[in-house]
Amino acid sequence: MAVLIRRLEEQDEVELFNCGDEPLNNYLRRHAWVNQQKSSIGVTYVAVEETAPHTVLGYFTLATSSVPRNAFPKKYVRGLPAYDLPLILLARLAVDRRFSRKGLGSALLSEALKVAVQVAGEVGCRGIIADVYRERIDWYARYGFVVLEGSAPSGPQRMFLDIRTVRMALK
Amino acid sequence: MALKTRQVRRPPQPLNGSRRTKFQADLAPAEDRIVRGLKQELQLNSNTDFLSDALALFHWAVAERRRGHRIFSETQTGERKELVLPRLERVAPELSLPRVEISWTARELESLATLVTSEPAHPTETLLRAMRG
Repeated sequence: MAVLIRRLEEQDEVELFNCGDEPLNNYLRRHAWVNQQKSSIGVTYVAVEETAPHTVLGYFTLATSSVPRNAFPKKYVRGLPAYDLPLILLARLAVDRRFSRKGLGSALLSEALKVAVQVAGEVGCRGIIADVYRERIDWYARYGFVVLEGSAPSGPQRMFLDIRTVRMALK
Repeated sequence: MALKTRQVRRPPQPLNGSRRTKFQADLAPAEDRIVRGLKQELQLNSNTDFLSDALALFHWAVAERRRGHRIFSETQTGERKELVLPRLERVAPELSLPRVEISWTARELESLATLVTSEPAHPTETLLRAMRG
């Protein structure tokens, strides 16, 4: 199966996408294109097969963010750069059920991290943040994402991956 | 079979005396056949000439995409096909990601500050495989 990962296009077929999670399905079907083209809230990349170039098999969404320096607890500020801390948010990542357990999630995450490295080279970025479902913590941890303590126990878990670690992996 | 620029004729030294860089690549047999076929079709005598032309084309494609231009082929009937390569897409200006605000708890910020002021962790095996595969 030859898979291409590229930016979401208006003509992409998203209605039949089903990853088994309604909020993730709904985001792709209803919001991803609008957020990318009109609201400029997030950029979505989709995995498609060469033989069906508009049928979405999986996707991820990225945005940038930053933490103001003065938001950090005072005892840590001295060790931080004298600027806001730039980050990339891996806002969503999902694979259609029909293509799960075929390595597509790994391919999508790999591409997301490569985009992150590229963006870091252009505008600066200190790491990648993801708010992940608790049952997916182990999967992200395998790629080096570290749990950030202090997330609400009932919600998703915030995780962090240092961009320097990703750069090391590319060398 | 390897594509070795070392085996080709030595090009004239540039007048400014700057050193030339040697480039060596291991090609799969199918790729090697493609290279030989292209050299014959384009009447390129050496691997150096081949690489030089390929480099010029790749350099042009990257520059076009970096300017936000899209690259198409067009048939005589006007049918178009777009060239889409993941590596080229990463240099496109529309890659610029929008900015969002994230809410943080004090404990999360403390945890983040600890991580960003520490030495980076070494990549895990899974990450290495994903990024280099």
